[in-house]
Amino acid sequence: MEIKKEAICGTLESNDLLVKVAPRNGLEVTISSEVMRQFGARIREVVEETLKQMGVSQGQFVIEDKGALDCAIRARVQAAVLRGCDSEELNWRGL
Amino acid sequence: MDEELDIETLDPRKDVRGAAEVKELLRASGLDAEADIQVFVVARNRRGIVACAGLAEDVVKCVTIAAEYRGSSLALRLMNEIHYLAMMRGQSHLFLYTKPGNATLFEGCGFHKLVEVLGHACLMENTPVGIRDYCDSLNAFRQPGQRIGCVVLNANPFTLGHLYLVRQALRQCDWLHVFVVSEDASAISYADRLDLVRAGLAGTERVTVHGGSRYLISKATFPSYFIKDACVVEACSTAIDLLIFRRYIAPALGITHRFIGSEPFCRLTRKYNEDMFEWLENASEEGQPVHVVEIPRFEVAGCPVSASEVRRLLARGDFVTMASLVPPTTLACLRAKYAFRTQPQADYCATEIIEVK
Repeated sequence: MEIKKEAICGTLESNDLLVKVAPRNGLEVTISSEVMRQFGARIREVVEETLKQMGVSQGQFVIEDKGALDCAIRARVQAAVLRGCDSEELNWRGL
Repeated sequence: MDEELDIETLDPRKDVRGAAEVKELLRASGLDAEADIQVFVVARNRRGIVACAGLAEDVVKCVTIAAEYRGSSLALRLMNEIHYLAMMRGQSHLFLYTKPGNATLFEGCGFHKLVEVLGHACLMENTPVGIRDYCDSLNAFRQPGQRIGCVVLNANPFTLGHLYLVRQALRQCDWLHVFVVSEDASAISYADRLDLVRAGLAGTERVTVHGGSRYLISKATFPSYFIKDACVVEACSTAIDLLIFRRYIAPALGITHRFIGSEPFCRLTRKYNEDMFEWLENASEEGQPVHVVEIPRFEVAGCPVSASEVRRLLARGDFVTMASLVPPTTLACLRAKYAFRTQPQADYCATEIIEVK
């Protein structure tokens, strides 16, 4: 999937995260989190895994995490990608 | 405190009562409701507005929360709403002005600090990669040399004065980077101003002409520059812009000298020039100092050439006098694209007749 436009998903509230996507050559994921020291590496893992499953290899991803669970991170990243791709089609089985 | 709050948007131009309430709330925090704010996000309880955040294009300002609601997560909700609202209005890249003491609060809301004027103000942006990407893009234009110069022009429009400034600057450096202010708030459109600078400097060696950016004399970094009749210039209004130049732009291009034309007319530009010495050269600030070189204005018949004089001549349709102040490329463009905007006046016609001869 290709990120075609800027999009935003999620919130800054506790236990959630805000995901911003934008078109970019190459893939860049930037993460800020209140629990960076404990879970920073795990958050990155979940984000990168989700992007891989969706076939996203390019784009700018800025994540402001407020201590979200893995399932919330996955869901927010998926929704942000769909918005950024302007697409409703998703291969749910692959996820 | 546990009371439900409604988060809403408020158009200060339409909702007069709401605007008055916001103004009162801001006043209690020692802030003014700035006139360029297009929309506020507000939080309301049953008694009224208890928090607000204003949006002026891509700049978030006038953010405050009533004392009894501070320390709750209300700031997060406000800023969350601002992000979505701005996105709907086509702005994903936001800037935010705040007092340095509140920077940490906004860092929790997705903002990252750009520069701080100690004790006064702090400019933040809502991305960790904005200024970095911009500097990376500038980096590609780096040139070798000991003395790398920079000139920032509004060029509204490009005159022989600008040309003179560039040529004088070139005599003192190995390479010159010329930036054209990109904010479209001037009589001549940005696209035309940029074209005129490129055309006027075509064939000049050792010069790179750059388009401007939000980080260089824009409504985000230097709001008062674009407010008409800015009689009151706050003490640090120029500092944010100059510190961004010193800390990010100059290092990205290896700029060692910034050249400016002396300013005999405009008070605000003169103030910007004066402040430049302090914020760019002062050793105590962060980042390598940049030397400031002031070059006396180019004069024609004993009178300093200014773009505002050219605009006055344009309004009068006096292209004959104008021809002695601007390069042929500027004259041709103004004639072709801007002459029709002037009111048909007696001397306008007279000039045209003389021209035909």
